[in-house]
Amino acid sequence: MATPTSSTDYVARHLRFGWWSLFVFLLLGLTLETMHGFKIGFYLDVSNTTRRLMWTLAHAHGALLALIHIIAALVLQAFPQIATAQRSVVSGTLIGASVLLPGGFFLSGVSFYSGDPGFGIALVPVGAMCLAVAVFQLARASAGVITRTHGDMAVAQRATSATGKSTKRSGH
Amino acid sequence: MTQLRRRVSWSILALLTGALALGVAVTMSLDADTPEHEVEHRPIAVDGDGYVSSQTCQACHPAQYETWHSSFHRTMTQVATPDSVRADFDDVVVDAVAGAPMRLERRGDEFWAEFDDPGWEGPANERQRITRQVVMITGSHYQNIYWYATGHDRALNVLPAVFLLEDQRWAPRSAVVLSPPHQGVATLDGHWNAICIACHTTHGKTQFDTPYRSEPIASQAVGTTVSEFGIACESCHGPADAHVAANQSPWRRYTLHLSGEPDPTIVEPTTLDPARSSQVCGHCHSVWEFYDVADERAANTDGLPYRPGDALNDSRFVAQPTANGTTPEMRALINADPDFVRGSFWSDGLVRVSGREYNGLIDSPCFQNATTPERTLSCFSCHTMHQTVEDPQSVDAWAATHQVSVGMDSDGACTQCHAEVATNLSAHTNHDTDSTGSRCYNCHMPYTSYGLMRAIRSHTITSPSVQESVEVGRPNACNLCHLDRTLAWSGEYLREWYDLPIPPLDNNKQTVAASVLWLLKGDAGQRAVTAWSYGWRPAQTASGTSWMVPYLGELLGDPYDTVRYIAARALQTVPGYEGLNYDFVGNRDERLATAVDVLTTWRNGTQSRARRDPQLLFNADGILDTAAMRRLFDERDRRLLFLRE
Repeated sequence: MATPTSSTDYVARHLRFGWWSLFVFLLLGLTLETMHGFKIGFYLDVSNTTRRLMWTLAHAHGALLALIHIIAALVLQAFPQIATAQRSVVSGTLIGASVLLPGGFFLSGVSFYSGDPGFGIALVPVGAMCLAVAVFQLARASAGVITRTHGDMAVAQRATSATGKSTKRSGH
Repeated sequence: MTQLRRRVSWSILALLTGALALGVAVTMSLDADTPEHEVEHRPIAVDGDGYVSSQTCQACHPAQYETWHSSFHRTMTQVATPDSVRADFDDVVVDAVAGAPMRLERRGDEFWAEFDDPGWEGPANERQRITRQVVMITGSHYQNIYWYATGHDRALNVLPAVFLLEDQRWAPRSAVVLSPPHQGVATLDGHWNAICIACHTTHGKTQFDTPYRSEPIASQAVGTTVSEFGIACESCHGPADAHVAANQSPWRRYTLHLSGEPDPTIVEPTTLDPARSSQVCGHCHSVWEFYDVADERAANTDGLPYRPGDALNDSRFVAQPTANGTTPEMRALINADPDFVRGSFWSDGLVRVSGREYNGLIDSPCFQNATTPERTLSCFSCHTMHQTVEDPQSVDAWAATHQVSVGMDSDGACTQCHAEVATNLSAHTNHDTDSTGSRCYNCHMPYTSYGLMRAIRSHTITSPSVQESVEVGRPNACNLCHLDRTLAWSGEYLREWYDLPIPPLDNNKQTVAASVLWLLKGDAGQRAVTAWSYGWRPAQTASGTSWMVPYLGELLGDPYDTVRYIAARALQTVPGYEGLNYDFVGNRDERLATAVDVLTTWRNGTQSRARRDPQLLFNADGILDTAAMRRLFDERDRRLLFLRE
């Protein structure tokens, strides 16, 4: 994947990642449902309770994060003025979270210790931190953009009241 | 205006909050049972002394919890609830009791019984009735034994009838144990609290203020508590609070996972040496007593001192007549109760009752003579307390078949050590490899123990011996399958195949089938296990069934209730008698009439001429020699017998 440079590149990246990710976790969900349907002991037996919980969490987190990617893409499209550096951090950590969180849950259900998940669970807090950074950055950037937009609008309103015309109209 | 709007908003919020609180309160009051610590009329489950209960264990060990939860260990003792009570209490009259019928009643989720007062000391014809709430249940596999609140603190007593789960019927309490006719069994207030609690609960504390039966129970304080009803996780793993506290740390847990080291904060019985691991089971599955009154009083206050991993003999006397039959402890027990040994052991000291399998194990050569831990027989050689993932059967099926490990329900149990036998099984057994005569446990663990109205496999690993049958009276494996053969016949084969000497045999033992001798001449215990074998399919295949009817019919009139019960069950497996309608505790005349009917039907049928074997007391014309039967019957061992299962 080429390094994105423009806002459009980031939008495309997250739309692509989000939809494909959603497709992958939809397939995982379908697989889990199939295992329910055919009462597969590997997944449903009480001795595999931990696996069932971990894979359910992997499915839920993966699907939810896929939707967040799509929402992030829409946000980036709506606010192209978000700084490039912020876009880069948000994008990287969001992708990191989407790999580490569901991946960690999934791996920790492959091999586990009775009520304790397997060592893959160590990836989960790292993924959670990535997600927290991404969401924080996105929130901060969105807030900045909105503040700036409101600021621009206030300037425009002051200009309008001084000339008796709207800024837009004065362009005509 | 703004202020008014704010006031309205606050009012709405207050109303909603109030409604929510009211809803929560109503819901909780509807759903809540009486908190356990507020229950006053029965023993209660409390935390403490380091015990945390199985609910805590479940969070981290779901699979182990689930398999235990399906086991009969869990349901050995249960509080009586609509889920645990298996008998119908909905306005039921139970005739199967001594005296006036017992009346059962449901009051919402409560179970009540009205019956003759067992403590009545006045004239029998004026016996008072009492009505009591049933609060506790013992057993869930074969029987439900119901306990009622006596009204004296937490003391319990037992209903006069027991519910038999297979038969879905009630039977008098005295009729479900092998006890002398018309003697009944003790039904004393506080019996559960003082006796049953030790093995049927987890960390039970009797808590009588003065020794049990030292004074009338009405004047005693009985504050019985348990950690958990039934035999739960901490019975076998020990108190777990330190384990729970230590493993709050994920770092510690994963370090243990990585290292594979055992967790020193909890006992894992299967990793103990074979002797100690078996003692974990043996602390209940053995015949034992306190060393002295002081030990008993300490256990009364603090619970039994034994903890898994301890040496069992440190805190109790395990009665083993083969090893400690002449010790002061055993002599004291026999002085206090002359039938102490005979009630649980054969005359050679091997245990003969169910629920005491540890005694059988420690008398086995596979335990005594093993040279390494790996080759030492332990309970876990064949049984597992948690079904493993390799086991294809359902968890309920596994629990119902005595929690046997995968592959251990057949020769695998023995060939894990005796591999050389497996390579040419029929050379060792002298039976076809696929026949039941080639199954190791049929010869080395025959059905010679008694319990729960049936024969169970001896857990003392032995080899078939005619000499034991002659000297001890214990039926041998050969003749428990070949029911139609004599001891002399078995002796000849054992000499030919295994070079065993034939002991001196009197005329009866040479000429009459051994099982017929045990049925007609044996004590009640011999009759019970032999009658059970008459219904055992492999024995029926080896011996035929047509000739059994007069002998089982004879036992329908046996003075021991349980012998009659077993004989009737066996007779119902004989072709033509499946529909036998017989009440083993019914009216005596009706019972005898049924027995006569059985014999008449048999005599008039073709079955009666099917065998003409003299060892079965048939003459050459196929006529049963009733005079010979009578002669042997007159030689019966009529010593009273109470088997303490």
